[in-house]
Amino acid sequence: MEWDSVMMLNAIEASSVSFRDVRKQFANKVAIAGLSLDVEPGTFVVLLGPSGSGKTTLLRCLAGIERPTSGSIAIAGREVVGPRTMVAPEKRGVAMVFQDYSLWPHLSVRRNVEFPLGQSIRSKVDRKRKVDDLLERVGISALADNYPNQLSGGEQQRVALARALAAEVGLILFDEPLSNLDADRREQLRVEIATLTREAGSTAIYITHDQSEAFALADRIGVMNHGELIQCDTPETIYRRPVSPFVARFTGVAGELAVRVVGESEGFYEVVLEHGDGPSFRATSIERGLIGPARLMVRASGVELAPAHVVTGHPGLILDVAFTGRGYEHVVELGDGKLLRKVFSSTRFERDGAVRVCIDPQASLVFGSAKGAIK
Amino acid sequence: MSMVLAPPPLEGSPASSDFEHDVAIVRGRRWRINPGSLILWTLLTLLIIAPVMCFLILAVSPHVFQQGPEWFTLKYVREAFGGATRAGIVNSLWVSAVVATTAVALATMIAWLVIRTNVFGRRVWTVLTWLLLLVPTWMMTLGWGDLLQPFGVASALGVNTHYIFGEFFGPMGIVVVLTTAALPFAFFIVSAALQLMGPELEDAARVHGANRWLTLKTVLPVIAPALLGAFTVSFAETMSDFGVAFTLGYHSHFPLATFTLFSAISNFPANFSVAAVIAVVLILSTVPPILLQSRVMRKRSFAVLSGRTRVARRREFRTVARVAASAGLATIYLVALGVPVFGAVAGSFVRDLGIYSTGPIKLTLAYYRQVLHPDIVGQGLGAPLLLSNQMGLIVATLTGVVALVLARRLVVNAGGWSQRVTDIFLMGSIAVPGVVLGVGYIFFYNQPFITNHFINLYKTLPLLILALVASSLPGQTRFMAGPVSQIQPSLVEAARVHGASRLRAWRTTNLPLVSRVLLWGWLVTFTKVIAELAVAQILYPPSQEPVSVTIQAYLANNLLGDGTAMTVVTLAEMLAVIGVALLTYRLLAPKGWRRIGWSGIQS
Repeated sequence: MEWDSVMMLNAIEASSVSFRDVRKQFANKVAIAGLSLDVEPGTFVVLLGPSGSGKTTLLRCLAGIERPTSGSIAIAGREVVGPRTMVAPEKRGVAMVFQDYSLWPHLSVRRNVEFPLGQSIRSKVDRKRKVDDLLERVGISALADNYPNQLSGGEQQRVALARALAAEVGLILFDEPLSNLDADRREQLRVEIATLTREAGSTAIYITHDQSEAFALADRIGVMNHGELIQCDTPETIYRRPVSPFVARFTGVAGELAVRVVGESEGFYEVVLEHGDGPSFRATSIERGLIGPARLMVRASGVELAPAHVVTGHPGLILDVAFTGRGYEHVVELGDGKLLRKVFSSTRFERDGAVRVCIDPQASLVFGSAKGAIK
Repeated sequence: MSMVLAPPPLEGSPASSDFEHDVAIVRGRRWRINPGSLILWTLLTLLIIAPVMCFLILAVSPHVFQQGPEWFTLKYVREAFGGATRAGIVNSLWVSAVVATTAVALATMIAWLVIRTNVFGRRVWTVLTWLLLLVPTWMMTLGWGDLLQPFGVASALGVNTHYIFGEFFGPMGIVVVLTTAALPFAFFIVSAALQLMGPELEDAARVHGANRWLTLKTVLPVIAPALLGAFTVSFAETMSDFGVAFTLGYHSHFPLATFTLFSAISNFPANFSVAAVIAVVLILSTVPPILLQSRVMRKRSFAVLSGRTRVARRREFRTVARVAASAGLATIYLVALGVPVFGAVAGSFVRDLGIYSTGPIKLTLAYYRQVLHPDIVGQGLGAPLLLSNQMGLIVATLTGVVALVLARRLVVNAGGWSQRVTDIFLMGSIAVPGVVLGVGYIFFYNQPFITNHFINLYKTLPLLILALVASSLPGQTRFMAGPVSQIQPSLVEAARVHGASRLRAWRTTNLPLVSRVLLWGWLVTFTKVIAELAVAQILYPPSQEPVSVTIQAYLANNLLGDGTAMTVVTLAEMLAVIGVALLTYRLLAPKGWRRIGWSGIQS
């Protein structure tokens, strides 16, 4: 087992990936609108976006299952898609974990995992040892002789993961592999995917619409919408410095508030609520020179609740409270119907009770509104 | 023309085609003519379109093939809608409607019992349905006739069948035999749909307060496309049936359209234009159900087979209900299959079958001696049966390969115009009676520009083989398209991504999933070819009679016992081939292949 593990770690050379102005059109629908992206070898990139954003199409183009309408794709420096090139999927040196698992129903678990080995390991003993090792790694060695329909969803996805790892390629693709699993299994398998893929040393491109999954897995996150790559950066930057309201919204906000930018100080904007009373407070933005009406997006992690008698913060009203095990999540009304959701506190604030809401300027993201917010 | 057993591939199945190039040089992609499509449509043109069109054009333009002076006339249309030909058309229409409705109702009930309940002998009922599919209608008619006719088997056993005989040799008998013939088509289409319908829908209905009846009403529309498909196919098969029209219809003076068509070309002087009008009516009659079906099926996908597919859950009957349901099924199959087979087998041992006699029943093996070692003028069974088997082997293999390619194209191009055209064309082709195809072949392949410049196949065995391939292809394609469409494209995609070439991906992931349907498709075509009557009757070369023609010649010469014995031997040989093929598959196919059930679902 050790020998195989060492071989697996040493043998794989992670692949770089380069998309250049990739465009894919189905009839009149543009699925990918001229996307460019470079992925460094060995990185775990998560493409995050809503349904229809083009992330699955992009992954299928990379795998060779779809052909882009235009643009080029290179894997490990070798062009696999170009104006005059279309390399077959089996010659791209990729492996893939499919959303629907795509296990071959007539093959046992062992045979499914063995499939990508092809002729690369000729000795039966070595092949068996290799497959046994992989099955043990993903925790299903007892199911080696079972068929896919005898397995649970989580077990099937483990087989799919083992099959992808068996390929020993420099690039592994994940097409929403956890979307069909329940929360517990999802969490468990997410950790295994992160660990095993990094252990294998391959570059990984993983697509999902779940922001928590993306933040947990990624070295870099690419946020996609309408076939465009809106932002690609580290999880921390995506969270703290989203380039657009869409990115901020899709990576999780407690609420959106209409505000007015009234000034700037110490690198922050001073904003007041558009239709409410209360003091001004600070917010951050990647946009420069904002003034007037704007949109404020508040991360749940940057909101704190305080008792009503505290003098700082904005007055608020607790609408709902939910126990989450490690504390409480609240829904707070800030006046004029503006809500902040998932506001965490280790102490419980009762429903209909008055509170003070303190907002961290770093977690308050202000974007210029459509109507002449920018000077 | 032939059979269709599974739902056709439908729009919405994920398509994947472009990636299948190693390193492709991309040239102007719009309007590029696909060489595969070109070859396929050329083949279909030569096999089906050109011969059929050559014949159909005679309906209004007999001068085209020197069958009359007119370049354009509606005279033959008027002629066809008068007298016996009109009666034949009207009879065919109402009989087909009744048969299709009855067959779908019966098949839905049987399929539900077999697929969704714990009724006894589920495998037996499925096997019996296969047998029902394999036995041609003229053999069924022969069995019924042997049993019921005066001085037949029943009479020899002391049963007075006078009243039943009178009823049987009329519309009732025709409807019964054709219903039993249409039953398997409807059964396999509906059972595939029922198999794929998870129990969740029924559970959801029951949980939300629906009683059993309301649950059924709620869930049934889910399989509406399958029901419509079953109706369409049953209707088309009945309209195009020749075996019953040629035997039972003729003897009971109840003309059906295929027989009046045959009469129009076989009587002297032959009237090909009237025959062509009848052919047009036969084909057009299937258009409304096809259009209705395609309208209902639009935007639905049957692509459900993946590693995650689960089998449907069965309803557990209590003992009394279970026994009652099983008895009901036994009765249906006894009438549909047991009675005619018993009639034919018993008849082949009854001395002086159908001849006036007052003495007790006398058994004899004389018919079998005559069949196997003929001592009178005329040939025995050996040479025709061997020839039919050889033709069956060639036709079934050729058809299987082409049908699989066509079925795959239907699925890959799902939703596109080429898929729609192919789909409608294939469905329409099923409605083309073998008689029409046979006559079309005579016209097309006897044209001087073909015989002088290309190939002269007229009155040769290859022409008969081509016609039999053409006759089997549409049904066989749609038969395979169902299971092929149920295979998720991602299974092949997974294989390609994990290093398999196009061929290896197909061989290792698709072939195992379609192996059973390929085998059964081959067997169905093989047996159908052996027993095929319409095309064989028209195109067999002199001195090379297929077995069906030989048997009919014996029956036409009032050698009923000999004809019956030949039928029984032919049937037994067909069953033996099926048995050997299935046993070979069981012994040689890998375990994983055998785990995949009829519809590709793991059993």
